[in-house]
Formats: sequence, C-alpha cells, structure tokens
Amino acid sequence: MLRLEATRQILDQAEQRAIVANLGPTSDELWHAGHRDRNFYTYGSMGLCSSIALGMALSTQEQVISLDGDGSLLMNLGTIATIGREQPKNLIVVVWDNEQWAQTGNQSSHTAYGTDLDQVARSCGIDNTTVVDNLEELKSVFGKALMEDGPWFIVAKIQEGENLPVAPVEPEFTLYRFRASFKDESCTT
Amino acid sequence: MAWTEKIIQALKNWDTSLIAYVPDISIHQVTSLIESDPFFHLVSATREEEAIGIAVGSYAVGKNAAVFMQSSGFGNSVNALASLCIPARTPIPMFVNLRGGPGEFNIAQVPMGRTTRPIMDLLGLVHFTLEDEYKMDTLVDGALKLCHANRQPVAICLTQMLHGGKLA
Repeated sequence: MLRLEATRQILDQAEQRAIVANLGPTSDELWHAGHRDRNFYTYGSMGLCSSIALGMALSTQEQVISLDGDGSLLMNLGTIATIGREQPKNLIVVVWDNEQWAQTGNQSSHTAYGTDLDQVARSCGIDNTTVVDNLEELKSVFGKALMEDGPWFIVAKIQEGENLPVAPVEPEFTLYRFRASFKDESCTT
Repeated sequence: MAWTEKIIQALKNWDTSLIAYVPDISIHQVTSLIESDPFFHLVSATREEEAIGIAVGSYAVGKNAAVFMQSSGFGNSVNALASLCIPARTPIPMFVNLRGGPGEFNIAQVPMGRTTRPIMDLLGLVHFTLEDEYKMDTLVDGALKLCHANRQPVAICLTQMLHGGKLA
C-alpha cells in the first residue's frame, strides 16, 4: 500500500482527533490528504514524533494519533519504552515502515534486516500491537484502536509513492493553530 | 522556604504540571518532591531530547510543561531545541544541573558543563544561573514569566554552589 492512500484512510477514520506527523513526506502527504487544524506537522526534530504525541496524550483526555516512520523511530526507540511505562490509553502510534530512509537516497533501514518494531513495542509492555500490509487490514485495526483502550502500536508496511510538493513550512503557525483547537475543551489547565 | 520549594512554587504559579525529566542526583532533590505532589505528573524520559518532545506535546494541547536535566543531557537536546522549540516558539522552562563548576570531580563532565551556556547563547536562548538562594523565588518566577512572554525555552541553571552537588 502507498503511504498516501494509507494516510487518506487514517484521516478519514480519525475525524477530529489530533494527528502528529513525522517530518518530511509523512507531514507533506498528511497536508495534501487533508489539511486541518488538528494536524501537527513536524519539520525537524527527527525521532520525536511519537514523543510529542505521548506528551499530548498525557495532557488531554482525547485520543492522539502519531504517524511515525521506521527510520525516525529507530533514532528514539526509548520513547517506545516510555509509552510502555506510561500506558496512555488514548495514544495510537502508527509506524509507516518502508524499510528505508527514502529521503536520503533509499538506504535500507534496520527493519529491512530483521529489526521487528512490533516486537520491540510488545517487549516494552505495549500489548496492543499489530503489523499490517494492506489498506483493508489497516482500516480494520485502526478502527478497533479508535474504539478500544490503548496504547496501540500499529506497524504499517508501506511503499513510497511519488514525492508530492513540500507543504508550507510553518512551525509556529502549526503549533498555535493546533493549540487553539484545544482551548476550552478537555484540557484541565 | 528551601530552594527546592521555590522551584516547586514557581512551577505552580505558572500552572506547569507536566514535568519531563531524566534523573540526576542533584535535581533529585526537586524531582522527588514533584513526584510526591499530586499537582504534578512527572514523566521519566529515556533521553533528554525525548523529554523536550513530551513537553512540547503537552504545551500543544494546552498544558504547560517543563523539563529537568543535567548539562550532559542538554547536549543531547540541542537539535530538539533548535528544530522544534525555537522555530515553533514553544515556552519550555528547562532546569539544568550545570556540571563542570567549582567542586566538579569528573573530567568527563567538564567540557559539556562549560559549553552549555555558550551553546544556549548561540541558540539565542535566555538563561539564568543560580549560585545561591538570593532572590531566587523572584528570579525563577520571573524566568517563567519571561519564558511565556517570549514564547521560547528559558534555562535555569542549577549549580553545585546552590544544591551541594554530587560528591566523589
């Protein structure tokens, strides 16, 4: 499955839930799939996508979705352990796993050589983990994750599509637009 | 009021309840109080840049957050600050135990400890250093006010002269 069509699938099911996107094409494709206030695009800080989503999940009652990547998550495997330790029920991590660093020349990542992120998550105490490689499975498991307590960790095997135009690079606007959408809602402070 | 209590009070004054940190024996004097206080949610990160990411996420949904780390961990945090907090203008107070000063026993802690504040200067980050408790409550409270007014991280560096440090 292509990441863009998988992103459209997630966006369709997510309704108004917050989505944090890994840097590069994951953020670009989310923007093209459907720009909205509750998309939190990232532009740097590689490896921190799911850490940011974890911080959100710990500070709101609402469900939070992280769209991470295999190469990025490999930079910060420790955050899987922190998610396992904190056990946020409202966090869903989706890892787009293309088994490569596509943006730097398609070098194979460690998941192409046997690193099993699903098992990493499981060994960190995240019980709801799964691996999917087609849209129907993704739709089904993501729908289940939206209905049942997490944390969820879904590894989605994807293929690269064509590079889309880079989405607007607006970190400050992204943060404060996103934040405004949480004002006077479920936050306790 | 002990120096540790002054930090706790300032965090409460600024409604800063999510604290992400990597353990350190000197800042343990503060983080142990935070852990036992139901006002706070103390999150143990595996690495300091992860703590920065968690804090930014908390702020993004409307809950103020701060981080605690040692100066060695500040070295681990530079890219998170440079490519996330600063361009997104995120007000994250950072309490940094500054190694490498008077009383330091470990040569391996000196280079990062001595370059922490120059790196903050190069990043354009405001920082204050506490050598003692003189006007500390005013300074820490004011630092948090500045942090939010400027919408950028601010560092409060804690030294061995203040907290007694780690003894060899």
